[in-house]
Parts: sequence; C-alpha cells; structure tokens
Amino acid sequence: MKRIFVDIEKCMACKTCEIVCAVKHSKSCNLFGAIKEKPNPSSRIKVIEAKVIPIPLQCRHCVEPLCEQACISGAIKIEEEFVSVDKEKCVHCYSCVMACPYGVIDIQKEENIAIKCDLCLDEEIPPCVKSCPTKSLFYGELKDFKKQREKREEKCTM
Amino acid sequence: MHYVIIGGCAAGLNAIEGIRKIDQSGEITLISKEKYPPYARCLITNYLIGTHSEKSLYLRDNSFYKKNNVNLILEKEVKKILPDEKKVYLSDKEKISYDKILIATGSSPKKLGIKGEEKEGISVFRTIDDVKKILQRIEKSKKVLVFGGGLIGLKAGYSLKKKGLEVEIIIKSPQILSQVVDKKSAKILSNWLNENGIKIRTGLEPVEILGNKEMEEVLFDNGEKIKAQIGIVGKGVSPNLSVIENTDIKTHWGIIVDDYLRTSNDDIFSAGDVTETKDLITGNPTITALWLSAQEQGKTAGINMAGGKKKYPGSIGANAAEFFGLPFISFGKTRETENVEIKEICDEKNYIYKRFVLKNNILIGAVFIGDVKSAGLYMSLIRSKSNLENYKNILGKEWFNYGKVRELLEKDEGFRESISPEGNNIFFT
Repeated sequence: MKRIFVDIEKCMACKTCEIVCAVKHSKSCNLFGAIKEKPNPSSRIKVIEAKVIPIPLQCRHCVEPLCEQACISGAIKIEEEFVSVDKEKCVHCYSCVMACPYGVIDIQKEENIAIKCDLCLDEEIPPCVKSCPTKSLFYGELKDFKKQREKREEKCTM
Repeated sequence: MHYVIIGGCAAGLNAIEGIRKIDQSGEITLISKEKYPPYARCLITNYLIGTHSEKSLYLRDNSFYKKNNVNLILEKEVKKILPDEKKVYLSDKEKISYDKILIATGSSPKKLGIKGEEKEGISVFRTIDDVKKILQRIEKSKKVLVFGGGLIGLKAGYSLKKKGLEVEIIIKSPQILSQVVDKKSAKILSNWLNENGIKIRTGLEPVEILGNKEMEEVLFDNGEKIKAQIGIVGKGVSPNLSVIENTDIKTHWGIIVDDYLRTSNDDIFSAGDVTETKDLITGNPTITALWLSAQEQGKTAGINMAGGKKKYPGSIGANAAEFFGLPFISFGKTRETENVEIKEICDEKNYIYKRFVLKNNILIGAVFIGDVKSAGLYMSLIRSKSNLENYKNILGKEWFNYGKVRELLEKDEGFRESISPEGNNIFFT
C-alpha cells in the first residue's frame, strides 16, 4: 500500500501543501473559487512548528488506528492500510478527535463531519505531494522511499 | 477451531476482526440476546432524535458476517458456560461446544430501587428497544425527569429536549458527571445546558414514583413532588455476570483477566463492560464500561484467542460528546486534587475550558470544553506516561502540537506499534 512519507529535513514551511489540499477539497476545486467559498474549504494537512523544524503533518493512516477504535458509529474504518471516514455514518461525536495521537482529525462545524487526509485516491499522486517544491512529501511504498533516501545520502557523501 | 462469542456489541464485533487477523478459517459463532445485529449503542440518542433509522445504527452490513464466515445467533441468551465440557447452554436448551470462548456480555443499567419503579413511563436508556418504548410515550408526554447526571443521563436528556420536551435532570451528588470531570468543568457544562433549556437540580433523590399504572408524579426526599410523564434512569451500569455463575472463573467487580484478557480459565477470554482490567494510569483494577475500551479489548482478546500474543495496555476513562453544538472531551483522572499540579486555560464566558492534571510532571487527566482541537495528542501523552516537565506551561496552547513532543511519544513501544507496519516512524530525518 502506498503512503505519504515525510522527509522532515526538507520542509521549508512554505505551506503550498495546505493550500492545494484545501483547494482539492473545495467545491470549485480552483484557488479563486475556493477562497470565496463559505465555509472556507479547510486543509487536511497542516505544517506544524516542531521544536526547531517545521513538519507537514496529516493523517498517518496508522496500522492500529485509535480513531477507528474510538469511533462510536462505525464511520471510521481501516482497510488495506487506508483509514477512511464514511460521511454518511459520521455523527460528529468528537470521539476520533479524542483519540487521534497526532491531533490531525477535525470536525468541520458547518458540515458536521470529521475531516482528515483521504489520500486523494482519485488522483494518481496526492496534490500535496505533487506540489511540494522541496519534495519533502513522498508518495509510494516504504521501500521506494527508503531507496530515495539512500540515493540522497550517497550524493551527499560524494 | 470453533470460537464462540457471547454478546453482540462493541467487544464481540471487534473480537471477530481480531480473530480473523490471525485465523481466517476457524469457525466463529456470535450469540446475542438482542434481536438486532451489533449496533452503535451510543447512537440510540440519534435514533431517538430521529436523525438515524434503526438500520443505520448497525455497525456492519450482512456482507461483513458472510465474508468473515460468522454464524450470527440472535435473540438467544446464553444461560450457562460449562467449562469442563467446553459447551454453552442456550435459553432454548440448545448446547453449543467451543474451543475458545469470549465473554462479552456487557452490562445492565442499575435500577433506582424505589417504590413504583415498574410503572409505565420509567425507562432505562441503553438499547434500541428502550428507545422504542420511550418513543411510544413521547406524544402524550410533556415533561421528562432524568435520574442521574452521568453521560447517559445527559445524552438522554439532550435528545428528549431536542424532541421538544421539557427536561429536568435530577442528581443526587452536587455536580453533573461526578464520575468523569472536576467541579469546575461540571459547572461550565451545567451552565451551558441550563442556557439551552435543560434544568439541572442537584442534591435531590427520588423516593417514590406516583401514579396508577402510569407514572404521573415523582416524590422526592425533600417532600417535593414533580409532575412528569417520562422518567429516564441513568444511574450507571453493573456487569452481566450471570453466565459464569457456577463456574470457577475468578471475579471481583467484573471478570478478572490477565494482560492478554484471558480469564482464570485458559480457553475463556473476557472483553468489554463485563471485564475488570487494569487502570492504565494507576494500575488498580477498574471497569471503565466505555465504547473505546470495549472495542480495544474485543480486538485484543480476539487476536489472543486465535493464538496471537497482544498485550492490552490497560483502560483509560475517556468520554467525548457534544451538547447543543458545544464539544466536550475528557479523559483520565480529572478529579484528582491531592499531590497534583493543575494547568488550565479558561474563558468561562465563551464556554471554553481546558484543564490538565499532572502528577510528578506526568499528565494523568485532561478536560476540553468548547475547544477540543488535538485532544487525542494529550491522550497519547497520558498513555505514554511522558515526562512533561519542560512542556507543562504550554499545554493546551494553540502552538502545542505533535511536533513538540514527538520524541517523547516515540519512546513508547505501544505508540510505535500502533502507527506503522514496520513499527518504526513514518518520518525520516
């Protein structure tokens, strides 16, 4: 299963990922439309300020998701390493917010639904990854990500 | 291998998933005394309000049971377990044999224990059938009295208020949610409920339900009488232990289990409200009787029944709810006052309150009212027992985030195991 990996040495906190994520999840799906929408479309990825470096953070699709265990309506499910929220079943009870160790699930008040990274499965590569100018975000299998990291280290030591 | 699960709710359902993680071929039989397949018990409030149909409460559709090859036996009660014969006795005298069995019989609401309690109109609030009973009376009712200020009582009161009835919550203790939150949090929530039209009275206890066949009036210990047509009893729950009577399975408050949720009998496991586990914070025995605990325990027990080896880390009391648009989350020891340090952020006028309880720089409890953002981060800080000496002054601030405490959390084995298939972090530096 492909995942989004984060190379945290590379993030410059430009927040491009936040913008493209919000646009992707807006009704109009373009920037000009999105900024005028009410409610404002919200981003599922947030660049958080860690101790010294920024980290782009979104749902990590945990293998044993606590959000799924806390969900009282059966809306949150994990299948093939992908954690999804069923809009029809979500009752915005805040149980997932209570459980998510990363703090990356929010309740969108206007629509009364739990929102988090849905990996944009309709796209070949999630827009946040595609648009990241420093390639801090990577989409693929763990082994491919490791390979890319190794390559980089080789270059650095050369 | 034949797995038998007694009880068709959170723990039982998760046990199926746990077993199937390890064993894809063994036979699974789930026996439930209710006539519905496992459903979202916490959503009976939504069913009462009318936003959810009966079917939409079902946690899984039929295809799930088919796919996982589960034999679902509904509307039958297990009367006895016979550990020597490795059989269970059903209410219709049928016998079913098992290799491994899970007791997930849950708990039952406590009664008021006063005269007139059997009168029509008095109900507990736990099952779809309870709600059906209440719905039948709603039309001819004007006023509801809720006995008990726990989360069940508040949720029942909230949904009946939404149905347009006059709601008064009667509590014996001086505050609502007395088992869950501290005085200050309770006061803020009480004020909010009051402002939204729910009346709360404390220090009052009913002594008799008056009326002919139906409830008409309630007499209280101060001599006062209040007219009401519906009475909801929310006085807590007690574990359903009757199936293990006459066995030598060890019990205390509930069924005693080891770290792998195995009872004193090797082939018998226990999960959910009927189970007494270790409190994650204090290590003392506890029954949390909560959805999250039941699901975690069910899954863990299932894995271990099928031969896996998964440790249950212990239970933590954790509640989340929303009343009239105000979110509320609490977990851990929020009421502790001795030898603790309290950090708070308070904007009482706007109904925003965050409370953090620390003991020796370790977070042991937290309450969030109004602003519940990233609450789960604090729960994992409790679970990992991280030393927060350097962070305690920024707890609850907007800029306190996962990145600040990443190293602390990742030291915790349980945390690492739960996040990634390889047990390592998904971030690379």
